[in-house]
Amino acid sequence: MSVAIETEGLSRRFGPRLAVDGVAMTVPERAVYGFLGRNGAGKTTTLKMVLGLIRPTFGAARVCGLDVARDRIGAARKVGALLEAHGFYGNLTGRENLALTATLLGCPTREIDRVLEVVEMRPDAGRKVAGYSLGMRQRLGLARAMLGAPPVLVLDEPTNGLDPDGIADMRRFLKSLPERTGATVLLSSHLLGEIEQTATHVGVVNDGRLVLEGELSRLKADLAPEIVLRTGDDARSAALLRGHGLNVRVADSLTVALDLGDAVDPAVAGLTALLVEAAVPVFAIGPRARSLEDIYRRVAVPTVRQAEAA
Amino acid sequence: MLAALSVELRKLNRSLAAVLAVAAPSLIAIFAFFNLLRADKAPPWAMFLQASTGIWAYFMLPMSVTALTALVAHMEHGPRSWDHLRALPVPRWRLYAAKAVCVIGIVVIMTALNLVLTFGAMSLAGTIKPAVAPIGDPDLSRLALLNAKVVAAALLLIAIQFWTAVRFSSFVPALALGIGGTFFSVVATSAKEGVFFPWQMPVNMLAREAWRIDTALALGGGLGLVALIAAIAHLARREVL
Repeated sequence: MSVAIETEGLSRRFGPRLAVDGVAMTVPERAVYGFLGRNGAGKTTTLKMVLGLIRPTFGAARVCGLDVARDRIGAARKVGALLEAHGFYGNLTGRENLALTATLLGCPTREIDRVLEVVEMRPDAGRKVAGYSLGMRQRLGLARAMLGAPPVLVLDEPTNGLDPDGIADMRRFLKSLPERTGATVLLSSHLLGEIEQTATHVGVVNDGRLVLEGELSRLKADLAPEIVLRTGDDARSAALLRGHGLNVRVADSLTVALDLGDAVDPAVAGLTALLVEAAVPVFAIGPRARSLEDIYRRVAVPTVRQAEAA
Repeated sequence: MLAALSVELRKLNRSLAAVLAVAAPSLIAIFAFFNLLRADKAPPWAMFLQASTGIWAYFMLPMSVTALTALVAHMEHGPRSWDHLRALPVPRWRLYAAKAVCVIGIVVIMTALNLVLTFGAMSLAGTIKPAVAPIGDPDLSRLALLNAKVVAAALLLIAIQFWTAVRFSSFVPALALGIGGTFFSVVATSAKEGVFFPWQMPVNMLAREAWRIDTALALGGGLGLVALIAAIAHLARREVL
């Protein structure tokens, strides 16, 4: 597996506060890597260190094998970034804004047309950015990040402030990027649903620490299965199943948590038989689709809550 | 470096920098025009043109540098574009050096405009009221050299204002510094100690004593150049959080 971005023990201290604590992240090439965490968890600080905008207190970040601290310019040539603050000049048109960056990057003018085409912004490129909607600014920011076709794109909260249609557009766009351009995408977000629908890989940062990382499909498969039931009497069903030593949860629905590695089909058959024998009507039964939220909830617990629990 | 300069010029071209560049020297020219019309007899060219340089050096130049550096810095502070610029594969010092070069370039243009516009205003006043048409040799080469020294001596104040405006995202520290510096430059114009005060170094180019001219030029120009290089190096190296 080739690696696009790699960090080793990446840490950053702001005064007494350790904002990022020993993050070891691996973003495979051509992946859409969702970097998840609450606001203030350390996502933006980590991305800023990957981009060479701030220096790590300890550790290192490498982009396409280039150490960001030792060769910032070499590493920056491999990265296009869309940051939370877009930094567009409102008195200039979209095309003029792109032209400024293109000049600094030494890109030819046709590159501006290419990226405008990719984000479908050509018709609006002649308008002043001050009149753009937030969604248009985000797309223009993406276009600017893609100038010079860098192999890695770092996008900080790219769906921030977008309306539902804008979010759907952005999701489609990001999902197709590796296939269309061959780029690797590292995107940070606190929106689980967005990452789940977009990313191939995820990394979860919690209180500055990377608490989970991996291929999303594999992480989901690694979760212990759960079976959701709809019965005529959930309270009685729960008592009955608990009597058989099963781990039962009654919330919005009656859920039975199986052990990791348990086969789902025999468990469904067994549960159905138990309930039918006890004359409990069973309306529906089946495995619950595992979501990124299930994975996230298991690992992303604020330190304060962990301390309270202890 | 040329790419960074070209980008800065394109940004400035669409800002109000041109208005500032013309407005400040125009005010001195307008003042000179009406002042000359009020006169009873024809003054020598050199006297009025040197007075114009004086007003420029002790008041309008420091104020213009304050406004200009704030404008150049806020082109980036306003839209929060530092992160974007600093993440690009471009040596950061070039981004700051391009800005500093643009500021100095505009100050040079404004200083020249001050001379040209004052010359034009006096000629116009002399045409309207021939009795006050300036007399004698304007000695433009001497005035050009004097104005060049004024700009050179202003390098230290440019470096200080530039660093402050770029370092702080709020415009208040740079404005407070610029207004304060100009205030002391105006109220203590003739103070001997002014030769060591960055905001008074340009006006000291008009001093009678050679030591004052030399000291202010060496400090303002020489130390100013060192300060400007140090400011650019510091800005390029510091983290923008």
